[in-house]
Amino acid sequence: MRNGTAAKVRRDLTMLAILSVAYIALAWNVTNSYYQLILTLVPIWAAFGVSWNILSGYAGQLSFGHASFFGIGGYVMTLALVYWNLTPWLGIPLGMVAGGIGAVLIGTPTFRLRGHYFALSMLAYPLAVLYFLQYFGFQEMSLPMHRDAPAAFLEFLDPRYYTLVAVGLLIAAVFVCILVENSRFGLALLAIRQNELAAEAAGIDSKTWKMRALIVSGMMAAAAGGLYACVQLVVTPDSVFGMLVSAQPVVLTLFGGVASLWGPVIGAAFLVPLSKFLDAYAGNVLPGIQGVVYGAAVIAIILAAPDGLYWTLRDKFWKKAAPKPIPLASKPDHLAKASVTAGTPLMKVTGLSKSFGGLRAVSDVSFEIAEGEILGIIGPNGAGKTTLFNLLNGVLPADTGTATLGGQSMLGKKVHAVCHMGVGRTFQVVRSFPRLPLIDNVIVGAYGAGLSDQDAADAAIHALHRTGLSEIAGVEAGSLTNKQLRLMELARALAGRPRLLLLDETLAGLGREECDDILDVLKRLRDEGMTIGIIEHTMHAMLRIADRFVVLDHGAVLASGPPRTVVEDRTVIEAYLGKKFLAKLDA
Amino acid sequence: MTLLTTRRAALAGTAALAGTATRARAQAKPDVKIAMLVPLSGPWARSGLLEQMGARMAVDEVNANGGIKALGGAKLKLMEFDAGESAEKAKDAAQRMIAQEPDLSGGFGCWLSTFTLAATEVTERAELPWLTLSYSDLITGRGFKYVFQCSPTAGAQAEDIVPIVMDMAAKAGGKRPTKVALVGDNSASSVAFYKPIRGTVVQAQKLDLVVDEVFTPPLADATTIVQKLRQGKPDFVLLQSTNAGDDKLLVEKFAEFGLTAKKMALVGGGGHWCQPELTKLTTKENLESVIVGLANWPGKAMADVTKRFIERTKEPWFGHDSLFGYTHVMTLVAGIERAGSADRRKVNEALHTIDITDGPARFFPDGRIKFDEAGRRVGAKLCVVQWQNGEPVPVFPEAVATHKAFWPKA
Repeated sequence: MRNGTAAKVRRDLTMLAILSVAYIALAWNVTNSYYQLILTLVPIWAAFGVSWNILSGYAGQLSFGHASFFGIGGYVMTLALVYWNLTPWLGIPLGMVAGGIGAVLIGTPTFRLRGHYFALSMLAYPLAVLYFLQYFGFQEMSLPMHRDAPAAFLEFLDPRYYTLVAVGLLIAAVFVCILVENSRFGLALLAIRQNELAAEAAGIDSKTWKMRALIVSGMMAAAAGGLYACVQLVVTPDSVFGMLVSAQPVVLTLFGGVASLWGPVIGAAFLVPLSKFLDAYAGNVLPGIQGVVYGAAVIAIILAAPDGLYWTLRDKFWKKAAPKPIPLASKPDHLAKASVTAGTPLMKVTGLSKSFGGLRAVSDVSFEIAEGEILGIIGPNGAGKTTLFNLLNGVLPADTGTATLGGQSMLGKKVHAVCHMGVGRTFQVVRSFPRLPLIDNVIVGAYGAGLSDQDAADAAIHALHRTGLSEIAGVEAGSLTNKQLRLMELARALAGRPRLLLLDETLAGLGREECDDILDVLKRLRDEGMTIGIIEHTMHAMLRIADRFVVLDHGAVLASGPPRTVVEDRTVIEAYLGKKFLAKLDA
Repeated sequence: MTLLTTRRAALAGTAALAGTATRARAQAKPDVKIAMLVPLSGPWARSGLLEQMGARMAVDEVNANGGIKALGGAKLKLMEFDAGESAEKAKDAAQRMIAQEPDLSGGFGCWLSTFTLAATEVTERAELPWLTLSYSDLITGRGFKYVFQCSPTAGAQAEDIVPIVMDMAAKAGGKRPTKVALVGDNSASSVAFYKPIRGTVVQAQKLDLVVDEVFTPPLADATTIVQKLRQGKPDFVLLQSTNAGDDKLLVEKFAEFGLTAKKMALVGGGGHWCQPELTKLTTKENLESVIVGLANWPGKAMADVTKRFIERTKEPWFGHDSLFGYTHVMTLVAGIERAGSADRRKVNEALHTIDITDGPARFFPDGRIKFDEAGRRVGAKLCVVQWQNGEPVPVFPEAVATHKAFWPKA
């Protein structure tokens, strides 16, 4: 559990307890067996939605094929029951293990893909399994009846007990989700969702966290699938591996609210009964009309509440109190400053090159950054500045050359590994987690650096103070100004306690006064002993803070040295302003 | 005296009142409700609708003839439910049916084996006797006590169809086939069908299985199948497709390469091969002489029912699905009459002990209704029909045949 989440966890657990008791009380008073079936199905689909939400909501890895895990759970439980007479009480846990293994097998190749490609590949797995099951003759499996000991085989004559088990499953799923949401696990997933590259740069090993999310999600989905099969009594490939099964958690969660604990639960509580009632009452009058009405209802609600019901209602009815500034728990440490020996090179780059096909984006670049200095890397658009940073922090592999940080090579490492070496980085386009308070946006960087919960919280608060954001630590990132977002990114990088900061166009798109504020922060950081490499193409801002310049043009170093010397260099003027201007200057 | 008179009058009044009440009860005899659960929406809706037409006609006829006699002429009421397009929808609908109609006496459906399997899990627990035309062996292979399968099972059909076809060939063409091809999809009922064919039937009939082609429905292209058939030169082809779309594609591609059923005997299986739509999907010529094995077909003894059905529905013929709807209702009525009660458990008892060769038994080619312990109809025989002049006509067995079978000359 992260610091500062105790209140929220308490609130969610209380809510869970109240809802569960109320739901069971409701179920106990329903006698109609069809309504009873609906009451059983709601928590099962909700649990499936929660499982999908962990991977696709929190981690943002959109899966259109979650039926894989649901189906594994359903089929493992069924096959174990049919062939080994294994009770579903053990068959469902067995299915969960199989779901976890399935997650590793599916995740290992599929996490190589991103975005739409990932989503579409996930879609393929359940469809492929479908044909295997047909081929092996498992098209229609019916669960054998145990008339003598029904409860021992999860068979109940009184359907209310199915509801009880289903509610138990949902409680477990929501509880796991609370654990995930309020730990570094959830924060890492949110970071990956916002921007995998930025998360990696903040030190988060995205592949490992995504795999963990998939395993948790897969096991949970398998449990839901197993129980679903028990309730349905007949399992067919289409009923657990089918396209509609994959679509179900997507629809429920999008409807209820993505990446929120209660989203899938709200979605299931609305949509499952809606579709069943439509089946019963509209479908009875005009067979088939229920699908049309259901589709129209989903479209209407999504149009009215595009973020999902939970977020829309929360934004509308539940205003947060104005955040209080966070008191500084510990004194800013001056360790970093003490260790700085001005002038010693911290990072050394020699002969670094990178080509994209015929284009030499970075060509034989060599420079150094000394401890405690601000190095301005400048150059016109397309000079190769961002590519250079990407080579240094592991986003791209270099063709040739070396780069060392404090004597250790930085090349050939993964992005998060470079971060662990002590390199913090910000990006041209700010990536925030808009639904999270500022402090949580920053703490991601501290977790990425591998700090413990308490240290991470301290480091984040400290970083907020250093960037002057501590007054607004509790504000949601979505309502920050552009300048505050830039500072937030800077704070996130600082929270990882880096030795070197690589800032990519931190001033882009800011007005003059906002620029000044950020420059002040940077100056202060330098005074505290921070080493900074900053990319910028606006010369005048750089002149005010950089100790030294490296000028890139067409991927190569054009000039380097103290600011004044560099700006008077004729080749630099030519690169920036063209030959014509130079001729005018000479005239 | 006054007192006495008054008392007598009061007594008389009470008696009169009681009498009225009895009469009122007699007039408002509760309807006997039976349920029909078939696909009325989704890809199988047409089959469900055809079954519905037969069932409605049967209910109207029962009521027109005085209702349920054993229950003093109580009216029969058909409660209709849509099984939808998936096993879970079918199961949900069954649950709803049980919940909404607690006083059902029996029911029937759901056409597709998968749906029937799911729905009977519910009806079994509700102790509701359930009739079905579905073929899958599984339906009556679970030890259930409340399910009655009227068709020969898929396994039995697979074992029966080849000898019947061999016989037909011998009678019509004079030459015993020696080579057979198997072409079909990998759906549940098809896979169950292939097992005995490949395992025992082919050897027992001394046949060479020259082509064995299984595809995943829906079929995209039948060209490779045609090429294999041209190379293998089978005497007849067993076509185990399971929907009209694939049926159409197969016969059209075959015709394109000159392999019509007039040249190479084509033997399909299942009611979909005889639905009126097929003539709209493809031409009469492509379908001509195609042989179809199925669980039932109205024979010559049912000419009057057929006539009434066509008049009533304007359908071109009375076929497999409608016949089953009709027969199910009539069988349930026979069960209720025999039980003398609308109580579902008593009706179930009656259906288990029934053994008749008249009434609804006449609607089966083998002419008998008796169910064994598992709920399978004893002696259920396969029917064979053949497309002749744009219409499927029964050619086997003798009891129902209205036409002579055609077999291509070698």
